[in-house]
Amino acid sequence: MSRRLDRLFGMASELPKTNNIHMLLLISVPVTPLFIASIIFGSYSITPWDALMAIAGRGTAESSLIVNSIRLPRALAALLGGACLGVSGAILQALFRNPLADPYILGVTSGSSLFLALSILTGSVLGLWSPFSPYSLYLAAFIGALMVVILMVALSGVVRSTTTILIIGLMISYLAYSLTSILHVFVDIEKLRALVYWMMGSFAGARWSLLSPGIPVLAIFLFTMVLLCKPLNVLLLGEEYARSMGMSLGRMRMFLVAAAALPVSVVTTVSGSVGFVGLSAPYLARQLTRTSNHFAIIPASALLGATLSMTADLISRLALQPIEIPVTAVTALFGAPLVIYLLLKGRGVQL
Amino acid sequence: MIGAVNLSAGYGGTQVLSGVNLSVGAGEFVAVIGPNASGKTTLLKTLASLLKPLSGVVYLDGTMVSKLRARQIARLIGVVLTEQLRPTQLTVFEVVALGRYPYTNPLNTLSETDSREVLRALADVGIEHLAARRFYELSDGQRQKVMIARALAQEPRVLILDEPVTYLDPRARVEVLLTLKRLSKERGVAVIASLHEVELALRVADRLIIVSGGRVALYDSPEEFVARDGPELLYGLGGETAFSPELMSIEFRPPNNGGPRIFVVAGGGSGSLVYRMLARLGYRLSTGVLHAGDIDYYLASLLGGRVISEKAFHPISPEKMQQALSEARDCQAAIYTSPPIGPLNSENRILAEEIARQGPPLIVFGNAVIEGAIARVDDPAALPELIGRALEDGLEARPAAVRR
Repeated sequence: MSRRLDRLFGMASELPKTNNIHMLLLISVPVTPLFIASIIFGSYSITPWDALMAIAGRGTAESSLIVNSIRLPRALAALLGGACLGVSGAILQALFRNPLADPYILGVTSGSSLFLALSILTGSVLGLWSPFSPYSLYLAAFIGALMVVILMVALSGVVRSTTTILIIGLMISYLAYSLTSILHVFVDIEKLRALVYWMMGSFAGARWSLLSPGIPVLAIFLFTMVLLCKPLNVLLLGEEYARSMGMSLGRMRMFLVAAAALPVSVVTTVSGSVGFVGLSAPYLARQLTRTSNHFAIIPASALLGATLSMTADLISRLALQPIEIPVTAVTALFGAPLVIYLLLKGRGVQL
Repeated sequence: MIGAVNLSAGYGGTQVLSGVNLSVGAGEFVAVIGPNASGKTTLLKTLASLLKPLSGVVYLDGTMVSKLRARQIARLIGVVLTEQLRPTQLTVFEVVALGRYPYTNPLNTLSETDSREVLRALADVGIEHLAARRFYELSDGQRQKVMIARALAQEPRVLILDEPVTYLDPRARVEVLLTLKRLSKERGVAVIASLHEVELALRVADRLIIVSGGRVALYDSPEEFVARDGPELLYGLGGETAFSPELMSIEFRPPNNGGPRIFVVAGGGSGSLVYRMLARLGYRLSTGVLHAGDIDYYLASLLGGRVISEKAFHPISPEKMQQALSEARDCQAAIYTSPPIGPLNSENRILAEEIARQGPPLIVFGNAVIEGAIARVDDPAALPELIGRALEDGLEARPAAVRR
């Protein structure tokens, strides 16, 4: 009896069990090599040694420029951006209790781009704020993302059907896309080039000036996420159960909505609409760890999100060299079939 | 302990219930019954603070629940809802540990007390052996027990359950209800559960809360409710459906479709199976001579049969014998169900022999030997065919009897 109790007490912790920790370690293996590859490979290949020298400030002028100004911010954007999209997807899936929820599919990304375009346009026309300052960009993107998540949460209270919610999300995407396209007409050619990046999604546009205010936000976000795991676990049982177990639903929902919108807005500002990472990462996380416990799912989604987006970024820059493919074109290749698969499987999909 | 004063409840401004006054004490198992859409769920959710009362108060140990914070309420009231969960890969232990939500820190690390409470909850519901299983692998009955254990892990004083057994098979139903009843006694928890199965509610509940027509009434015992014709009034029974206080069950009277009439000599419970079979097959039923108070007497009356009865514990009188014999002659076939025979009903055997001699064709069901019977059978499955044959024989052999 006491041995049985010991065994039960051994698994009494809500933190990941040992096998989950092993799986998390395994999942984290590809992250570092991919990060290094993101710095080395591109239209101009750099040896690992040269890259290291460049980062240390002792490289040639050419490799220094490429590594420090282009490759490093780009690799960081893909790493952190992917991790945050993965986490954002995991939060949205718990919030909507729907394995198909994803910032891209629900239109959160599009809401962000729309407000970015709006802010750039009004900023340049009215001159009230500097349209390309990182802070006004981040703020605009955050407001856009927040508004769409709030709208979707409100709608999900009225509409019960999963498919309907997804279609509404897609329509919001189209709406935002069309408004953004119209806004393009009013922006001059030079600025248009910048806007096009946001619409198609690419980590190539990541520059320190834009990235540096975003990095601490994303890093802090990733570490505070551990505080949301407990409420996310309770939400697996549904909102009424969550309330009956002492969660103040209204306040928690606000936190979660903000937590889902924040990383998406940062990623969208830096690299545009990157789709399907938020959908695939939590799905893979659940498949690999064989649990629904968010204390394991959230870190696994972050690691897998980073892996997926860095892989997609590498493919996008290497596949048709020297031409770059938009990164969403790559992520959609595995993301879209996954959506169809999940739709066909319906309620049988475990959350 | 938990109670309501002048409570009105409803959704979004639409009032469903009003004037609710009730109080449930520690260790009581209270069943909430009422027709569909009468407001059982509304009442339970309002008591559980999942719905705000439209007016009035819910109190717990003398404190108004509306004054408490969500976390405090969760330490006092555990809830199990009807809705079925989306399957999750959480283990049973993890799901039950979620019940410690109002006690644990944001990292949800389980203290020794927390783990002990989770284990106690698992043990109290009898599912320790499932602890490491994943929730989605379980049967409906097991899932329901897990949800109950999860509510128990909150260490509640009150357990509120909305139709906890509706989706379960009969065995799981009884298991879950008995578990709840035991918990109410062992833990001194007040258990309030809505049930669709009145018959089950009447058998297990200590007290009853009746919800009907926007109002709520509390009965101190199922017997009190039954004694006041409660089930009939509550569910609008009558005509083809009837509640039998003796059998504590809802019975339905088959419609009289003018089928052949069959006479059954029964008693002491030997007739119940045959009565139900005849009713199901659309035959009309006559039976006798039954003593008042015999279970066959109640069932035959409920099923709408013509019953020739004798006063309880009196020997069967010659008048009743005559009456039964003439009733039997009016029937197209007869069955003798081999009732136990003793000093007070030995006439029934003679009645059967008389029917075999001068009445419609007689079939013996069971081990009795009656001279002149057309057949004897032990297997109830063989009865319908025999009855069919007896009716054909009757038509050929005794047309006069049929015409009458």
